Amino acid sequence: MAQWQEVQNLANAYLEQVHQLYAGSALPMAVRQCLAAWIESQNWRQAAEPLSSHARMLFHSLLALLDEHLGSLGMGNEDFMLKHNLRKARRDLQAEFEECPDNLANLVANLLQEERQILRLGQAGGEGGAAPAPSTPPESNREQQIQRRLAEFHAALQEAERAFRHLEDMQDAFDFCFKLHYRPGEDRTNDPQYTQQIQALQAKLQILDRQRREVLAQMQQLLGRSETLRDFLQQELEAWQERQQRACLGAPVDTRLQPLETWFTELGQGLFQLLQLLRALGDLRQKVSYERDPLKAETPLLERRLLELLTYLLRRAFVVEQQPSMPNACKRPLVLRTTSKFSARARLLVRLHDRNHRMEAKIHIDRDPPKIKGFRKFNILTSSSKTLLAGDCPQEGLVCDFQYLTLKEQKDSRSGKGSKGVGEGPLVVTEELHLITFTLAYAYCGLQLELETSTLPFVIISNNNQLSSAWASILWFNMLSCDPKEQQFFSAPPPAPWPRLAEVLSWQFESVAERGLSKDHLLMLAEKLFGSKASPESTVAWPKFSKDGAAGFSFWAWLDGILGLLQEHLKQLWKAGLILGFVSRKQEKKLLKGKRTGTFLIRFSESVLGGVTCTWVEHPESGPPAFRAVVPYTTAELESLALPDIIRDYQLLVEENIPENPLQFLYPNIPRDEAFGPYYSQRQEANLMEQKKYLNRRLIRVSSRQANESWQTEEELVATTENLEMLQLQPSGLGTQEPGGLASLQHGSSGTLQPRGLGTLQVTSGNLGTLQPSSPGTVQVVATNLGMLQVTSGNLGMLQVVAGSPGTMQPGVSVMQQPGSQVLDPPQLLQVGSGVSELLQPGIRDLKPQLVLQVVPEGQGMLQVGPGAMEPQLVLQLVSEGQGLLQVGSENLGTMQPVAGDTGMLQVGPENLGTMQPVAGDTGMLQVGSENLGTMQPVAGDTGCLQVGPENLGTMQPVAGDTGMLQVGSENLGTMQPVAGDTGMLQVGPENLGTMQPVAGDTGVLQPVPGAVELLPVPEGQGTLLVPEEQGTLPPELRDLEPLPGSLDVQELLQSLENVLQPRSGTLETLEAAELMPDMLEARDGRLEGLDPGLAGSAALLNPRDPFLPQPEDTALPTVSSLFTTDFPPLHIDASDFQ
Amino acid sequence: MLMGQRSGCQEKSKKLELALSETMKAEAKIQNNEEEAEELKAKDQRLASVFGVADLKNGAIGLYNVGQSCCLNSLLQVFFMNIHFTGILRRITVPPCAMQKRRNVPYQMLLLLEKMQCGKQKAVSPIDLACCLSAYRVKLFVQHDAAQLFLNLWNLVKKQMKKPELVEELSNLYTICVQEHLACQKCSLETKRNSNMLTLPLPVLDSNSRALRTLEKCLQYFFHPEELTDHNMCFCEQCGRKTPFLQSMKLVHLPQTLTIHLKRFCFEESAYIHKLSHYLPFPQDLDFNAVLTENQCQADDSEKPPVQDGLSEQQTYCLAHVTSPRRRKSIPGSFPCSGVCCRAKAAWQYELFAVIAHSGSTSCGHYCAYIRSLTECKWYCFNDSEVCQVSWDDVKCTYGHSNLHWGETAYLLIYMKKHPQ
Repeated sequence: MAQWQEVQNLANAYLEQVHQLYAGSALPMAVRQCLAAWIESQNWRQAAEPLSSHARMLFHSLLALLDEHLGSLGMGNEDFMLKHNLRKARRDLQAEFEECPDNLANLVANLLQEERQILRLGQAGGEGGAAPAPSTPPESNREQQIQRRLAEFHAALQEAERAFRHLEDMQDAFDFCFKLHYRPGEDRTNDPQYTQQIQALQAKLQILDRQRREVLAQMQQLLGRSETLRDFLQQELEAWQERQQRACLGAPVDTRLQPLETWFTELGQGLFQLLQLLRALGDLRQKVSYERDPLKAETPLLERRLLELLTYLLRRAFVVEQQPSMPNACKRPLVLRTTSKFSARARLLVRLHDRNHRMEAKIHIDRDPPKIKGFRKFNILTSSSKTLLAGDCPQEGLVCDFQYLTLKEQKDSRSGKGSKGVGEGPLVVTEELHLITFTLAYAYCGLQLELETSTLPFVIISNNNQLSSAWASILWFNMLSCDPKEQQFFSAPPPAPWPRLAEVLSWQFESVAERGLSKDHLLMLAEKLFGSKASPESTVAWPKFSKDGAAGFSFWAWLDGILGLLQEHLKQLWKAGLILGFVSRKQEKKLLKGKRTGTFLIRFSESVLGGVTCTWVEHPESGPPAFRAVVPYTTAELESLALPDIIRDYQLLVEENIPENPLQFLYPNIPRDEAFGPYYSQRQEANLMEQKKYLNRRLIRVSSRQANESWQTEEELVATTENLEMLQLQPSGLGTQEPGGLASLQHGSSGTLQPRGLGTLQVTSGNLGTLQPSSPGTVQVVATNLGMLQVTSGNLGMLQVVAGSPGTMQPGVSVMQQPGSQVLDPPQLLQVGSGVSELLQPGIRDLKPQLVLQVVPEGQGMLQVGPGAMEPQLVLQLVSEGQGLLQVGSENLGTMQPVAGDTGMLQVGPENLGTMQPVAGDTGMLQVGSENLGTMQPVAGDTGCLQVGPENLGTMQPVAGDTGMLQVGSENLGTMQPVAGDTGMLQVGPENLGTMQPVAGDTGVLQPVPGAVELLPVPEGQGTLLVPEEQGTLPPELRDLEPLPGSLDVQELLQSLENVLQPRSGTLETLEAAELMPDMLEARDGRLEGLDPGLAGSAALLNPRDPFLPQPEDTALPTVSSLFTTDFPPLHIDASDFQ
Repeated sequence: MLMGQRSGCQEKSKKLELALSETMKAEAKIQNNEEEAEELKAKDQRLASVFGVADLKNGAIGLYNVGQSCCLNSLLQVFFMNIHFTGILRRITVPPCAMQKRRNVPYQMLLLLEKMQCGKQKAVSPIDLACCLSAYRVKLFVQHDAAQLFLNLWNLVKKQMKKPELVEELSNLYTICVQEHLACQKCSLETKRNSNMLTLPLPVLDSNSRALRTLEKCLQYFFHPEELTDHNMCFCEQCGRKTPFLQSMKLVHLPQTLTIHLKRFCFEESAYIHKLSHYLPFPQDLDFNAVLTENQCQADDSEKPPVQDGLSEQQTYCLAHVTSPRRRKSIPGSFPCSGVCCRAKAAWQYELFAVIAHSGSTSCGHYCAYIRSLTECKWYCFNDSEVCQVSWDDVKCTYGHSNLHWGETAYLLIYMKKHPQ
């Protein structure tokens, strides 16, 4: 019935054809119009067959319907012409076809067919006219074709069903007549009537036979066309699978399954319908059969063909919709880590199922493992089967979604340890490919099948650091393998043609940072891989890609490092195209040569893994242009300062010159701020207003260079710029007040400078930035008065006290330096000559023995000796007076003799200190790190200060001195005898303090460290226990502590203190931790929230890796020594700390 | 333009009316009244101006299955759609008496053709022809092998055509002439023998029972020289004993209508026959010069290939050949080619005309025919009484599929020589 409607909607040119068609036709268009639905639903072709009685019936029905229609028309004038026309038509039709209704049937059948023909042309033409034919993409063309064919298929199916119903009627009629008339037993050959009946029966049977054959031919035709559809769908599915594979690699392709699902379901539905029709045909044969019954011979054939087709379709329709992937690694699927969860999903595209049948889906891993020695075996820990539920909303389809799967390696009992030993198998873990197979027990309409489908091969790793190389394997496989189940692919991995590889690499960048690689990028990469002889035919071998590398890392590791850098820090810049990225040095020079001074470009380092650098050009007054580049920034640096900010604030320190920013124009010619303006971070000035006592500051990068350097090659450049790149801490107040008062921390170490009063710089660790373990930084206290630098956290690099008066640097437990105790003369420039200070790089482990360090007279030079490698022959001589400070790292220190000096300060790191004798000096200060300190005898000095780190202190005898101060770190202190002195101060760390005997002295101070309680027993009768002013954060119990009598034994005092503390806060360690948080200053200010015993959260402050904490579970780790060792993770500093 | 089956319907049927007056009377029963026929003809002409196709129906008429006659139906459709064949068929002499008429195969075919072209049903029944054939041991209600039946049918048509010129035309239209070479490997004795074939029976497996990939590969394998050794050795008259021979095949002449028989039914050692349904693509355009070597394409002796009409005008193609790299290699420098080779070469370009596909197994199956109308250049699929227009994609489905054994696979391929323009 839709046909006539569609015909009317045709374009004019085609409508003209329709008019012509009906112009001379015996069937007027008016009749066609008013009986459209009825006409189209009759089988005219059938009726037109000779000997059919159907035609007459149709003829009379037509006339009756016309009458009916005429009657239904109103009396109104508007229908007047129509009524006239219809009436005339009825008369004409009756006159013309009364005798031969067959002709009418034939006529109508032909007309309908002709209409369809015009319709087809018209619609095809209409489509062609709407969109110019050549420009339509083949996909959509194919889609249209599939849709058209599906529609045709269903129409033909309906046609076949109609033919079948007709056959059914015909058979029933024949059956009735046959049973009525046929009397085989009786001999009635002489009865003419009987003969006539038999002849009629015979004729009926002929027609029945013909109809059967007709239906069969229709089905043959249907099946033939469905095979084409099957081929189309298969091609589409294969295209989808390829797309999915490429999407796994990061290609931006459409992986929707929905159109495929619709098509598969439609075709499946049609085929199942056809199957039922065929079975119904078989039933017809059960009722009436005869010699050479076509149904007998052909239905089984058809059914087998159909079942085979259906089975094939269903098998293909079961697909893995989502390849196994870990939830947080969507961009890199197919890499799974043991014990981490992953998910995978399969879908049956034919959305037909029997609600009464439970479909169970199962998954298996490595069902047919390859015969490779050492191939790891895994179990799926979670449930491996799932009932496929119909799902309440049908659009979801038939999905088996396995989530939260985990894998566990099967331990092989024979080889003891299941893990693969070195050289055990031919394949490394990341080249071992595994498969998961889904199986599904399918049943529908009596068809029972076991469907199965497999995922793409994936790699199972056990550690995150295998991720990169695992991904390389996945790339290689999906790029090159033609068999998606080939688990032994890496036993002989084929080389990759460069164009293919280039495309895949570009996808990687596209998926990470939304911008692929340009032609120039790829050209540079090709040159890197193949040298100058790169061509489209070049191929890359697998080892060359993923394993070998001249620079110490492979091509892929290099690229992956860059990808990681992009992902974390440079996404926006890359996306905006501001990073030129892959530029060879030659090319770089070529590009920059013609540009004005200060033109720079950003490229990725070829020598550093995951590094980005800026190269700029300078045109000196004479000579060729010079190209400068900074040492590449890596994640470590970019974490604290984003690249746009670095570029904005970058400074080059030139001798006798004002620092300048050499980066002016981004290549080719964009002013710096125009290019990077949108990416500068907003300075949060407002935040700083809260703390008005601090001055504003900001973090910038500086380089310095000597005047007469020549930078010709990158190698030289790297060497010369080793010291170039620095982080400058510029306390603005101080900086302006006292020119040259700069403190610099190098290499990713960043910190807070808190100018307190007159030029005292305290870098405390709460605010202190990270001091990177691997890169020993330099701390430069350039010039200041009374500069005191306290570096509290671990892994401090090099400290260089270049100039300035009493610069004090204290690693280790923070020490309060009472300002009063440093009553010093007006600043005398301390000159630790550059030669000397360079030797004092503790991070560098190859410090040679027989080294004599001499802090030249007068001054507060500081010496820091790093961990470990210092040879015992080292003699440190703080030669003379002043406020020199000596820091000794860890173990194996030789003898130290701070010989003289007033406020000489000696800091000893952990372990194995020899004898120390700060011989003289007024305010000599001695800090002892951790364990195994030998005897110490700060012999004299008025305000000698002795700090002892944790553990195992031997005997200490601060012999004399007026204001001698003794600080004991943590546990296991031996005996201490601050012998004399007037204002001797004793600080005792946590637990297990040995005996302490502040023997004499007027105002000896005893500081037990924990709990911020300062015990200040004044032994001389007027003993007072001084509780710090800020009591609010203290446990109430402590607040109530009474001042103890002066003669009270210290041990008793401590004991009582412990008793008070323990029951309340559970462990003393908590408090220790709190106190031992290096941020002593803050603790004193009462900001240390962790001290609140009500908060169990005090443990939050307990950084288990804090070098100052005793580590009960890890005794091998010396507590204080960690201060100097380099293998601690960096303290993480939020960038906001530097605002 | 006209469909194959309808070719010459209007003009020629008038001429035939004299010869066929009797049959026309018989057909009158089936035909509708004269008036309507004329009216339809008038309509045809009207529509012709619109469509460019003088055809009311979708262009092709089906044939009813009269009991396992799908094979015969498919072959008949291929004959009838071939305007070169119908051109010959329409010129036959009508047998004088009714008895002879009933037993004359070409005449019955012509009758059927007329019935198809004049009738207004979607299909006609070939029962008369089938009965006629059954008189010549082509049994009804029996599943035939299409290649075998084609041979039988063709032979019957040829034999029963009275006019010798028609017989020759028919032979020229269908027969392939190959030259078999047998060369003794011991002495220089070489025997040549020309033989005519109606079909090129191409194996689809190589000697190691591996599937050949494409039709071109099958052709190459078929024409590949074979060494006859061991128990295959032949008796050499010159050597006086059995010696190894090199057997090779060369093409002498290819006809206008080239029938290729894919030997998909495989006889193994036992009597068991099975069908090879693996994937074997065939091209729409087939150029023998590109597929076969120069040597295989050209019989080297002076035996004159049957002369064809209009070949001489193809000499203009010489230059085109000389410029092709293949040609330059073989005749370095020497410019004018013999003409014969060039004629042959230009003429050995074919395009696919029809595919007779088989579905099912050896024991029970079904044939259908995909035919490309020579005038409309559209593909049709003939499934007994069902005819529908299809596309090349549908024809490609008959390439076969190694996992689907019951689907349609091409069995006979009929290529038509391209006419050089």
